[in-house]
Amino acid sequence: MAEKEKTSKKVLEEERRFFVDEALQTIWELREHGEVTLAEVAEDMHDEAGVMAMEGEGFIHVKDGKISFTERGEKRARDITRRHRLAERLFRDVLDVRDFESNACRLEHAISAEVEEAICTFLGHPPTCPHGKPIPRGNCCKLYTRKVRPLVSSIRDIEVGARAKVMFITAPAMDRLSSMGLVPGAVVKLHQKRPSFVLGIDETTIAIDEDIASGIYVKQV
Amino acid sequence: MHCHTQDKDTQAQGKTKARGGDLSKIALVGNPNVGKSVIFGLLTGRYVTVSNYPGTTVEVSQSNVAIEGRRFLIVDTPGVNSLLPMSEDEKVTRDILLDERPQAVLQVGDAKNLKRTLAITSQLSEMGLPVVLALNMMDEAMDRGISVDMDALKNIIGADVTGTVAPERKGLKELRAALVRREPRVPDLKPEYGPVVEDYICRVARLLPEANISRRSLSIMILSGDESLGAWLRANLDKPQLETMERLRAECREALGKPVGMHVNEARMKLATEITETVMKKSEGARGTVAELFGRASMHPFWGLIILLGVLFILYEFVGVLGADVMVGFAEETLFGKYLNPMFTKVVDLIMPIQFFRDMFVGEYGLITMALTYAIAIILPITTTFFIAFSILEDSGYLPRLAIMSNKFFNLMGLSGKAVLPMVLGLGCGTMAVMTTRILESRRDRIIATFLLALAVPCAAQLGVIMGMLGALSFNSLAIWIGSVIVVLLVAGFLAARIVPGDQSEFFLEIPPIRMPKMENIIMKTWGRAIWYLKEAVPLFMLGTFALFILDKIHLLGFIEHLASPIVVGVLDLPEKTTAAFLIGFFRRDYGAAGLFALAEKGLLTPVQTVVSLVTITLFVPCLAHFFMMIKERGMKLALLMMAIILPIAVLAGGGLNFILHILKIPL
Repeated sequence: MAEKEKTSKKVLEEERRFFVDEALQTIWELREHGEVTLAEVAEDMHDEAGVMAMEGEGFIHVKDGKISFTERGEKRARDITRRHRLAERLFRDVLDVRDFESNACRLEHAISAEVEEAICTFLGHPPTCPHGKPIPRGNCCKLYTRKVRPLVSSIRDIEVGARAKVMFITAPAMDRLSSMGLVPGAVVKLHQKRPSFVLGIDETTIAIDEDIASGIYVKQV
Repeated sequence: MHCHTQDKDTQAQGKTKARGGDLSKIALVGNPNVGKSVIFGLLTGRYVTVSNYPGTTVEVSQSNVAIEGRRFLIVDTPGVNSLLPMSEDEKVTRDILLDERPQAVLQVGDAKNLKRTLAITSQLSEMGLPVVLALNMMDEAMDRGISVDMDALKNIIGADVTGTVAPERKGLKELRAALVRREPRVPDLKPEYGPVVEDYICRVARLLPEANISRRSLSIMILSGDESLGAWLRANLDKPQLETMERLRAECREALGKPVGMHVNEARMKLATEITETVMKKSEGARGTVAELFGRASMHPFWGLIILLGVLFILYEFVGVLGADVMVGFAEETLFGKYLNPMFTKVVDLIMPIQFFRDMFVGEYGLITMALTYAIAIILPITTTFFIAFSILEDSGYLPRLAIMSNKFFNLMGLSGKAVLPMVLGLGCGTMAVMTTRILESRRDRIIATFLLALAVPCAAQLGVIMGMLGALSFNSLAIWIGSVIVVLLVAGFLAARIVPGDQSEFFLEIPPIRMPKMENIIMKTWGRAIWYLKEAVPLFMLGTFALFILDKIHLLGFIEHLASPIVVGVLDLPEKTTAAFLIGFFRRDYGAAGLFALAEKGLLTPVQTVVSLVTITLFVPCLAHFFMMIKERGMKLALLMMAIILPIAVLAGGGLNFILHILKIPL
């Protein structure tokens, strides 16, 4: 009996956490466009009482029907928004997942601070999410004062004439690529991008179209 | 750790003398474009069509030869990048090794691409086949400052290695010695696949029967997802075993966490890289040679285009002017016109009493006066010059670059740049071009290419006459003709791409270095292709002419003309006499165009009518020979369907053009 109680208590807590995170995100996004009213947020979350309860929990202030963040709420909202938008970038740009929004929605709750920095660095500290909304800056971003190239990117995005080391390949043509010597660890040179992508691996030169090229992930050397 | 699936049989094979007499079967294996066929030719003294374009060694050639008193059967195979087949060619080669049981493999590799070469060697090693390795193109390697320590390599892999420069016959002696005097050994290359994969290799191998290549190698192929082994598996295993195999394959994939094939390839590459780093030294060789510069430029978005136009111009001058004008003119008018045909006519008149038979040979649709004259005086010079030019493009390494430059253009038609090969060949002879569609990987691409070839690519014979007629008219008419044909080509291709089911094949092409073509090679290739042409196409022309002859004799020709003329006059707005030209065009493309030429000369066609009729005949159904080849390559149903679609398109396009020209009143 006690076990069941404990588990259902845990589930409720988690559900509450998710609700709060979503609400905080909504408020953050609405704030990007102007003032935030309780009515808007309540309508979005379909639960006015739930939103109001957040004041008691110390995340927001509600005054004259308008909502503002507490310091705690601001930080939490900022973190969760950042994770959500980074996750969107990850799913859409790297993993090519069509339904990137709802997947990001789920992932954002599970990312720890360390993982968040890793993803941000991996993606090259992207400034915006796929919808164009700004991604709040993190510690890792602050360490770079000038624009730094992402750690790993598709060969489609590196500059012509650059040499890069293959990290991983997601293209369906991976078998044929590997028989040409293009395997993780190989160093390739991008000769040109137009009219086709032309790569050099040792003394082999191959021409591929953009589709295949976008699935070859490299790190510039 | 290694379970005992060492097939003693295959191991020992290399050491015992050849069975069944003293004939040793040797298979030539290697990457595409490394000089396999050249070496084949040098060893056997026989020259088969040596081709650099992957997919064009379609027939497997073999030859008996005696080297220092010992008899060998040497089998040439299509180029492979991996013996885990990812293409038709690779399947053919793998199957040859599986079915034919060669006593040894002569692997030909590109000396400067040692890694890729060794990746294949490791697969041969796994199969348990004795190998003699020839590292060809040593000269190119030296040019790039690459040197290979042969002795060290020999020791590491445990098999004979010889450096060769095939076109100069360098290293041939050692190669022969390695084959004859020293027994080829099975190389000792063991990539590390890791405990998970090794475990499954054992488990799958245990289910397999003894085969010509080691069960270990077959097991690896199966685990890597080789679908092409299906037939062999079904023949050798029962249903529950097949199901177990499937289950094991899925389990392995699951346990490994990534595609097994990829893991295996990576392991092989890793081993190949290690060995290469040990034995190969690279110093900054002579970079930036003229050839390299040209090679780079020919793929450049701007310079490549300029070079492309230049190449097209030279092609036009060589084939169009020298071939179609000069040579044909001589052959047709002088050789046949003045001497041969009158001579034959006299002879036939003498020995054949019946008019019917006289007509059959030397009459209007005579076998000699029409078919033979056509085939030898007109087509042969044109196609020969074309083949020469084409061989030069091939051997120089320019063709893949042409594919790059034209890739975007072909994408509009649902094809990839690779289709440039059959399409350009189609400008020479469509019949041969259809055969070359084999190099396109997906069936869908082959169908689209065949369709477009039949519809909108005029062959050299036709082109000569058409250019002449349009040239005499005005530049506008030439432009309109080119424009109309290209528009129809693009629209038809665009639609076909939507309609024909299947995946578009991806654009993936290896680009060889630019090389100076060897005259010997060009001559051999051209000779081979010309002979092919004479053997295959000429009988079909004879057949077509004979059919025409019969049609004429039973007056069916006139009848069909009568039937078709409403369309010709009504839709195309052309004089009734042009019907005959179209009809004949089915049997002989250039005769059709020539028929129109004759009418134009007599002043029976207005400029508009000239352009309309020429556009229509260009788009018209291909000649009989071409049609037969379409049946052979694509099957009766598809071939007939294509013809049925092309005919109305040609008529409608002509009619449409006629309409537009009248409305817009463009000066011609």
